[in-house]
Amino acid sequence: MAQNNQSEPFTLEHARRVAARNGEEVVPGFCAMCGPGPNACGIYAFVKDGRFLRVAGMAESPVNRGGLCPKAHAAPQWVYSPDRLKYPLKRIGEKGEGKFERISWDEAIQIVADTLKRQKAAYGPESLAILSPALRSYSDYLRRFLTVHGSPNYGHSGICAMQRAFAFMYTLGDWPGPELGKSDLIIYWGRQPIYSGAAAPSPKLLVGAKARGAKIIAIKPSMEPDAGMADIWLPLRPGTDAALALAMLHVVVGEDLIDAAFVEQWCFGFPQLKAHVQKFSPEWAEGITGVGAQQIRDVARLYATTPRASIDLGNGVEHAPSSNDAIRAVAILIAITGHLDRPGGNLFGGPFGVPSTMPLPQDISLRERFTQEMVDKLVGPEFPRPFQPFVEGLSSAYYRILDSVLTEKPYPIRTIIAPGTQPSVSTRGSKRVLEALKNLEFYVVVDVARTADMAYADIVIPTATPYESDHPFDGRGGWLMARNKIIEPLGDYKSTYEFFLDLGVAMGYGADFWHGSMREAMEAQMQPFGMTLDELRQHPVGITYEPLPRTYENYAKVFQRRSPRLSGAPFLPQGKVAIYNTSFEAEGFSPLPEWREPPESLTGTPELTGQYPLLLSDYHTSKNYTASWQRNLPLLRELEPHPLLHIHPETASVRGISQGDWVIVDSPHCSIRVKAELFPGIRPDTVMVLHGWWQGCGELGMEDMPLLAGGANVNAMYSVEEGKAYDPLITAMTSQTLVEVRRA
Amino acid sequence: MERGFSFAPEKCIQCHACAVACKSWRELEPKVRYRWVENIWQGSYPEIRCVSSTIACKQCDDPPCVAVCPEDAISKRLENGIVVVNAEACSGCQACLGACPDAIPQFGADGKMQKCDLCLGRIDLGSEEPPCVATCPTKALGFLRSEVE
Ligand code: SF4
Ligand code: SF4
Ligand code: SF4
Repeated sequence: MAQNNQSEPFTLEHARRVAARNGEEVVPGFCAMCGPGPNACGIYAFVKDGRFLRVAGMAESPVNRGGLCPKAHAAPQWVYSPDRLKYPLKRIGEKGEGKFERISWDEAIQIVADTLKRQKAAYGPESLAILSPALRSYSDYLRRFLTVHGSPNYGHSGICAMQRAFAFMYTLGDWPGPELGKSDLIIYWGRQPIYSGAAAPSPKLLVGAKARGAKIIAIKPSMEPDAGMADIWLPLRPGTDAALALAMLHVVVGEDLIDAAFVEQWCFGFPQLKAHVQKFSPEWAEGITGVGAQQIRDVARLYATTPRASIDLGNGVEHAPSSNDAIRAVAILIAITGHLDRPGGNLFGGPFGVPSTMPLPQDISLRERFTQEMVDKLVGPEFPRPFQPFVEGLSSAYYRILDSVLTEKPYPIRTIIAPGTQPSVSTRGSKRVLEALKNLEFYVVVDVARTADMAYADIVIPTATPYESDHPFDGRGGWLMARNKIIEPLGDYKSTYEFFLDLGVAMGYGADFWHGSMREAMEAQMQPFGMTLDELRQHPVGITYEPLPRTYENYAKVFQRRSPRLSGAPFLPQGKVAIYNTSFEAEGFSPLPEWREPPESLTGTPELTGQYPLLLSDYHTSKNYTASWQRNLPLLRELEPHPLLHIHPETASVRGISQGDWVIVDSPHCSIRVKAELFPGIRPDTVMVLHGWWQGCGELGMEDMPLLAGGANVNAMYSVEEGKAYDPLITAMTSQTLVEVRRA
Repeated sequence: MERGFSFAPEKCIQCHACAVACKSWRELEPKVRYRWVENIWQGSYPEIRCVSSTIACKQCDDPPCVAVCPEDAISKRLENGIVVVNAEACSGCQACLGACPDAIPQFGADGKMQKCDLCLGRIDLGSEEPPCVATCPTKALGFLRSEVE
């Protein structure tokens, strides 16, 4: 039987042919459905009579190579959603009432500028905070605006990426990424390698590793499809990663499975570690993590004795009071077993893929203007002041900014600008967050569509989706491309970038904001590439740069790296792996990794388990939704119409709960109403939901859900108690609590 | 030349892109789907695994839906093996739905049977692949063209 299974790749030429056939036009561009973070996939957008119809994956893009995830295909529904904001709004009712009147873009800018000027004069510039969305290509504009204004209060989540970066960099001088293409053993730890960028390289690397015969280990409480592909699954209790990592250290140190030469030459404090980890036996860890002692031993041995073994540590470890200790214990494990910057191990150069010859765009964050005074004025530092600024600059913790409105400690934030982020569902403590929004003097929502807490806004600034915008250019994974406008904006709005330029000009900061010219802003950032934006636009599918040749064992260089603190002091004072961390010790934190219980847990608060016998945690990513967005898009909502509670069938049956029943989940802090999905692949003592539920889907006749009791907003369920609910060094707010589940 | 799909479950990451790409490109109304993705459990906790499957009309060799249809509305196109529905002849009785082992037949607002037709008439079956295949990030889903002897 003759076969011809080769199909033409979806190149620009192919896309043009498909478009011509249907009387359409094609515009090359970037997907914007989960970013633009590090996963900006290339798309071909099909347009007819000015209407954006659908997308296909760009074969020429080295990021996605023609593939696309489901979110990408829902882009036209996002752009044309009835929830889009079309013109600026000004509040006319009470806060929370949701009564607004239409104003013009210029009026809106003027009102925001006048308020900020008045508050700056009365309370100082630090009274302004800007909440950070997930990493966006406009994030630097937010930082720039704050710095020019004089405020250090960039509100970073405290639960994503920077937590890993901090613990890794103050232990290893770098956040080393796994060399997945060469590993014989990969541990995906608290990681979701599929849903965060399904069309990006990481799922392909997982599939490729499996095909090569590499052993895959998954560490997470429930079996998502990636864990289903693993050879070994460690179903640990949520929030107990530090205990597991400490027990693995106990095994490798106790059984001498270390790289003695590396430890001798490049590690500081191994003898102290040796004594310290004795008490963290696998039997001790079994009681806490729920993972069998034998399995812990097996996995620790397997990792230590496989020369090409890597750990892909995910966002799952950034949500517990012991997060910093979990991450540095893993960092120490990588180092002492000889897997640092060696082939198939964890390599210096960051976690986001292979470094390339592509230059970096000109940095516009103005970090060179940071002062000690700004460090002192942080309203609620994400990392303690002695460790500020960190790699992304100065930051206050997102939640602490909101909390300051109520506590007025050390002072109350007076204005919050929320671009692309929804505090009532995106951070913990939703009840207090809503109270803070009610009491906040001035709240500015900047977004493309209706948000969860827009009713509390004083001014609402609608913005263009990236599909309606011709900036910025984007450079990801060695691939540089200009952004093309796919359709004209649908209302009286501009982009988020232009909002900050216009506001800068209105504040009198024009000289620092390219006098309001987006083109000049772009050209300034393009300089390192040695070409103009127009020249870049001549490359319709962008420019792909060669990857840099890999070098290994760059210890001498990396261990000397200076930290971004104003003093420029190195990350590693001894020029060695900081097993015993004198930087932490000097500021009153434990020099060696410790175990700390979440505020509510089976082992930490046994007195609660009579009333609340189950553990609750949540999923940070999903196959079809990005964070707390996109429930309003029918194509995606149909895949998962209702908020689901993953519950083991036996746990359900003893409670009389059947598949698809609506159930009430009660925690000591709130309750949610969700639908039971009997899920055989979850720990029987644990239940999990996806975070971010609030939004209805008008087109499918589904209404919004309450933000507190009766809704499905899991962030309302957790403790936010100071001193218990966060990691003392890196914030890392807890996403664990105890619950009971009953039929609704 | 016969056309059909290949599927490598060990490569499927269960992302659901194939299902959504189909809905978008075919402009399907809510609730109507020509392709979907399923999670299949094997074993029980803690000795458990899950695998994935993507499901669409198999364009059966001897289609039970064709045999059962009282209106002769479904036929198999011999030159390419595609099972097609003549919407004008379909009375909406849904007999095919009961006959199909995978419950593939879909009925939207017009009440007529609809399902995957391999994008017949929309792509060049000789050189192009349908949107569900093109979008698959890991190439778990493939498009086959085989010469019938
Ligand atoms: S609809 Fe069902 S029975 Fe008919 S060809 Fe397709 S898979 Fe076979
Ligand atoms: S071949 Fe076409 S109709 Fe069939 S599942 Fe794929 S995209 Fe849908
Ligand atoms: S697109 Fe590919 S990987 Fe994703 S669910 Fe479909 S077959 Fe599986």
